[in-house]
Amino acid sequence: MLNITNLHATVAGKPILKGLSLEVNAGEIHAIMGPNGAGKSTLGYVLGGREGYEVTGGSVMFLPGTVRAEPVEALPSSNLGDQEKESPSTGSGRTEEWIDLLALEADERAAAGLFLGFQYPVEIPGVSNVQFLRTALNAQRRARGEAEMSAGDFLRLARAEGDALGVSMDMMKRNVNVGFSGGEKKRNEMVQMGLIAPRLAVLDETDSGLDIDALRVVADGINRIMRAPDKAVLLITHYQRLLDLVVPDFVHVLADGRIVRSGGPALAHELEREGYAQVAA
Amino acid sequence: MLRQAAHDGWDLPSSRDEAWRWSDLSALPGIASQRPAGTLPDALPWLECANDGPRLLFVDGALVAGRSRLDGIAIGPVEAEAAGHPLGRLVPGDGWTLRLGRGHAPAAPVQIVHFGTGGANHLAARVALEEDAQASVVETYVGEGWSNRLTDIALAKGARLMLARRTGSAGFVSLTDRASVGEGASLVVANLAAGTADTRLDGLIRLAGEGAYAEAGGALLARGRQRHDVNLVVRHERPGGTSRQVWRSVADDRATCSVAARVEVAPGAQKTDGEQSLKGLLLSRAATINAKPELEIFADDVKCAHGATVGELDRNALFYMASRGISEAEGKALLTRAFVADAIDRIGEEDVRRAFGAHAEQWLGRAHG
Repeated sequence: MLNITNLHATVAGKPILKGLSLEVNAGEIHAIMGPNGAGKSTLGYVLGGREGYEVTGGSVMFLPGTVRAEPVEALPSSNLGDQEKESPSTGSGRTEEWIDLLALEADERAAAGLFLGFQYPVEIPGVSNVQFLRTALNAQRRARGEAEMSAGDFLRLARAEGDALGVSMDMMKRNVNVGFSGGEKKRNEMVQMGLIAPRLAVLDETDSGLDIDALRVVADGINRIMRAPDKAVLLITHYQRLLDLVVPDFVHVLADGRIVRSGGPALAHELEREGYAQVAA
Repeated sequence: MLRQAAHDGWDLPSSRDEAWRWSDLSALPGIASQRPAGTLPDALPWLECANDGPRLLFVDGALVAGRSRLDGIAIGPVEAEAAGHPLGRLVPGDGWTLRLGRGHAPAAPVQIVHFGTGGANHLAARVALEEDAQASVVETYVGEGWSNRLTDIALAKGARLMLARRTGSAGFVSLTDRASVGEGASLVVANLAAGTADTRLDGLIRLAGEGAYAEAGGALLARGRQRHDVNLVVRHERPGGTSRQVWRSVADDRATCSVAARVEVAPGAQKTDGEQSLKGLLLSRAATINAKPELEIFADDVKCAHGATVGELDRNALFYMASRGISEAEGKALLTRAFVADAIDRIGEEDVRRAFGAHAEQWLGRAHG
């Protein structure tokens, strides 16, 4: 689903990613761990297409695969790994071919099926959550040649996603992230992910600033929304705590702009025990 | 010959004059020398309101009686004093007068459409509300040419007036207001400049009675080489008055929006509560926004706050929206709309608020394709 080859990127002229390679297949959850300054957030922003993050070498190819039919039918289900989610698409605009992700604008990447979860979700005064999400969802649907979602269908879906993540309709009507606590912002990210139903989620420090209960809610959200044979997750995190709740298939250590070690879930525990310096050496 | 003589006699203020430093009136004599086409418009921007009230249509400053409904509004000489104002004094003194007796409160707003077909036209107006009377007036400027207005407002004790104005289309619109707000009376003036016309809005609002309330503000939207220019003075003359000035300016391309807003608190006007919020949004690096909040306070027990900010759209917010699939153009429109909403959402009457919101929306839609 995602193939990163020898990726180099600079921020303000300073090299941050220095030959990063990574392969993520559909159905997999990968964790990227590493010390501060290793380039973890840069990787997220480069994949998301943020201005100021300049790719100086390498490639990122994305295979979103065929999207399943109408998202309206994919109302949240607590039944993990629900096989019905695999039902084939009818008339989706998404391609079966590999896409050069770096050639797309940020909004086009989103429409292609990429979701970027922010470490610090942005506050947008004057724009309500509902308005923001409906605009986003319909912009993506338009970009894929799908019909726009009606206000009624959207609100039903928004309510269902909000309920699943403890985000009330009252919060949904408030301005995007304005006055939200750290935990509420992260839960709001998950509501957005649930509504948008991406193929690949890159989640940057989604666990930071969460107490243990909120962490559980967010982890449940990731598992419910993204644990599926046709989806994949790149979890960027400092700590192993989240990885007890969202168990990764692979763990990678990012240090000085490159993946220096890869392994199974046990690697996260090793890192927690021995520190990055030891493991990455 | 006559027209030429008048042209020579314009004697318009120049940018050396502090109150006109951001103005550019150089196009006015040229516009005034044009001959109005005089054609009547087909469709007019009347608001959809729950109740029908008076409707006045002025074409080039002259009432079109056949398409107006006076309902008690007088047409003729108007008691309006320009007090030497350089544009206000050009208004000869004829126009419309709305006078409401004690406690009178019509259910529907007075709607006035000013349609210009070229050249200059001048019109005076007076709104005089006696004790506890209430009225709403909505003025819309469309067409082209130079529309110059002098409006005198006198609110007696407890009277309430909401005056909403929007300028669209082309040319130049200059509005000069002289208002006196009596004891416990309330004046709300809301402006929307969202056409291609340049505008100059001049206001002197006197809070002449104890506990008077005045609000004057609006949204100025400019693109191309357009200029919107506001010069407003709110003068607290008696104790216990409250005033609010909320202006939101948006300038794209090489346009200029300027707001000079002053609060004056006279000696003895204790317990005055004055607030100014002047915010500007630059959509282009070549655009200009001027904001000049001023306080002049001669009383010691007052609460006055002012804030002025000029900024660009939040790049973080634009990327956040893009990461959710919202294109840059759509994101910019959403953020600009949210910025302008501060001013438009203050309009209390729903019909008017909705119409002004839609009008601004139309402008924003064009701004971002």
